[in-house]
Amino acid sequence: MANILTLNNVSYAYEGASKNVLQGMSADFETGRVYTIIGKSGAGKSTLLSLLSGLDVTTNGAILFDDKNLKKLCRDTYRAQQVGVIFQSYNLLTNATAVQNIVLSMNISESPERDKKAFAYALLAKVGIDSETADRKILKLSGGEQQRVAIARALAHNPAILIADEPTGNLDKDTEDDILHIFTKLAHEENRCVIIVTHSKRVTAIADVVYRLKDGRLAVV
Amino acid sequence: MYIFQNAMQNLLRNKGRNLMTAAIIFVVIVSSVVALMIYNTSNGVINDYKSRFGSEVSLTPNMEKIIEATQTTGALVRPTIPAEQLIAFADSEHLLSANLAASGKGWSDDLKAIDGEKGGGGGPMLSAGPGGGPANMPDGMPELRQYFFRLLANQYDDFENGNRELTEGSAFPEKPGECLISQELLENSGLKIGDTIVMNSDLINPGSGPGDESYHDIVFRLTIVGTYLDLTDEYANSMMENAFSNRRNEVFMYFNDLASEVKEGLMGIDVGATYYLKSPELLSAFTAELRAKGLEDVFDVTTNEASYQAIVGPVEAMRGISLTFVIIVLIFGAIIIALLSSLAVRERKYEIGVLRAMGMKKGKVALGLWAETLTITALCLVLGLAVGGLAAQPVTNLLLNQQVEAAEQAQAAATPDPPGAVTVQGGGPQGVGGPIMIGGPIAGFIGQSSAEKITNIDVGIGLNTVVQIIVIALLLTSIAGLIATRQITKYEPMKILMERN
Repeated sequence: MANILTLNNVSYAYEGASKNVLQGMSADFETGRVYTIIGKSGAGKSTLLSLLSGLDVTTNGAILFDDKNLKKLCRDTYRAQQVGVIFQSYNLLTNATAVQNIVLSMNISESPERDKKAFAYALLAKVGIDSETADRKILKLSGGEQQRVAIARALAHNPAILIADEPTGNLDKDTEDDILHIFTKLAHEENRCVIIVTHSKRVTAIADVVYRLKDGRLAVV
Repeated sequence: MYIFQNAMQNLLRNKGRNLMTAAIIFVVIVSSVVALMIYNTSNGVINDYKSRFGSEVSLTPNMEKIIEATQTTGALVRPTIPAEQLIAFADSEHLLSANLAASGKGWSDDLKAIDGEKGGGGGPMLSAGPGGGPANMPDGMPELRQYFFRLLANQYDDFENGNRELTEGSAFPEKPGECLISQELLENSGLKIGDTIVMNSDLINPGSGPGDESYHDIVFRLTIVGTYLDLTDEYANSMMENAFSNRRNEVFMYFNDLASEVKEGLMGIDVGATYYLKSPELLSAFTAELRAKGLEDVFDVTTNEASYQAIVGPVEAMRGISLTFVIIVLIFGAIIIALLSSLAVRERKYEIGVLRAMGMKKGKVALGLWAETLTITALCLVLGLAVGGLAAQPVTNLLLNQQVEAAEQAQAAATPDPPGAVTVQGGGPQGVGGPIMIGGPIAGFIGQSSAEKITNIDVGIGLNTVVQIIVIALLLTSIAGLIATRQITKYEPMKILMERN
């Protein structure tokens, strides 16, 4: 196990806001572990995820990826190749099919997979999406199906870090178990770093480390 | 590569929006094709007319100045341009070309003229004079010289239009002492190509008045370098039927042989010139040059602007309309496409946010949008060229008819100025009115303009138009691409997704 992400005295404030959402936060995230971040609504969990996934930059302090400051890296490449993000609202291309979403993600990340379509179908099958559903447009899928597609997309390019925001909120228990199993397998068998923001006790139960976000700071529970 | 694949998929995913964009681009392209086809064809027609008509220079006596000079000096002013001046004027860097021609009269004991039994002609009546001519009158009686051959130089338009043709092995006179005669004249005279003949000619010195006239005799020794077959009407140029007016008796000579015999103040050999400017804009510079070379102030140097306007004016008006239309279409097209592009980016903000969140670089997102617009434009281009190509001719006919009607109405309201070539002829005084002949060229003069009013233009879609349309299409899609890029650059994926969520 090695440090892959390090938060170094990170603070963040939204534009025009006088108060920091995150305040002098420091934490380490290692490969081979599942992390969950819990906290009240509005505590800044999603903000923290956006910083970790390179969608936004810190106001103060630094986030180090493999000891390199994210601000100095190409965040597009970081997002495309190193991080897989499962957004709370999925953020899929709604007028494209499930397979097209996955293939596009693989293309953006320059995945070396030869038959990307076949790989996408297989990946979708792993999260419970059959090939018929895979060929349907996102708009025609249920919330749960969309969530699974979002999970598949996050995994499509074999990211070193998987970041998920309430990834099982719309799933039934069986599928939730399957997904959580995938997450733990990714961490423990494939040595990835899995970071999950959740309110679910079932999700928290699989974590190796649980962080609580309170008053803009992370604390190990 | 995937950018373009994704762009193609997007085109099919968003049919409604893309069809609307395509319809607008199609209208812009069809309008541009029609307007550009009209513009380019009109331009070609105008340039063609300009080069052979609009740049033809006229040296015309200014009647006001002549009357003024006559009143001032008390003597009748006879404007003349000496032949040597006409020749000197031709040597100008402002000219695209200059056609110099000459004509004279002659008789020869070596040639037996066609219809010689009908007698000669073409001679002026002198009050008295010495003998020596072919038809002398008794002393004290007016002498009438008769000429049997018309001597011509550089007047080959019958050869150009196929009414005459050189026989095998014949050539036009290109060196001093060479001549070309009709096949009939050669046979009638029992001569052959290569024979040498003596041709007599003369200049007449009008002297100080009646009874003072005299002849200045000229002798040419000419080698027959060829013959021509003549299909023209023998007496096309004259009501009189005699050897001199018979066109089979026309003898073509080397220009300098005739022109070099011209003497100031003597008449008998006429030299004509038509000048073509490289561009009508050079008129003032050419005028200054002519003045410096001695052209008298009583002559105006003009191009045949009025006739040019009457003939080419409607096409120029049509070209102006089409150019204005192209500009308007392009401005509006660019604005509409810019707006569409801007709206498309706004509408697809979420999609852009997702792509950016997935790690797609801004440039690639913009490239994808540009590829979509480019594909739509390319399809519209093919269709637009076809439809525009079909629509251009009826639109042209309509526009041209309107312009011709407008021009005719304008002409009817003004004094008409008949179109036609203006040739300047000189070489010596020819009685009252001088040697300047306006309104008609020397017979058979090369290069004369005989332009007719343009009432029909066949528009065609040339390579030029296709290239222009492609450039316009690329320009419009580039505008769209630039606007998209500019907007995308402003967006941060996090903000877009947060707004959406």
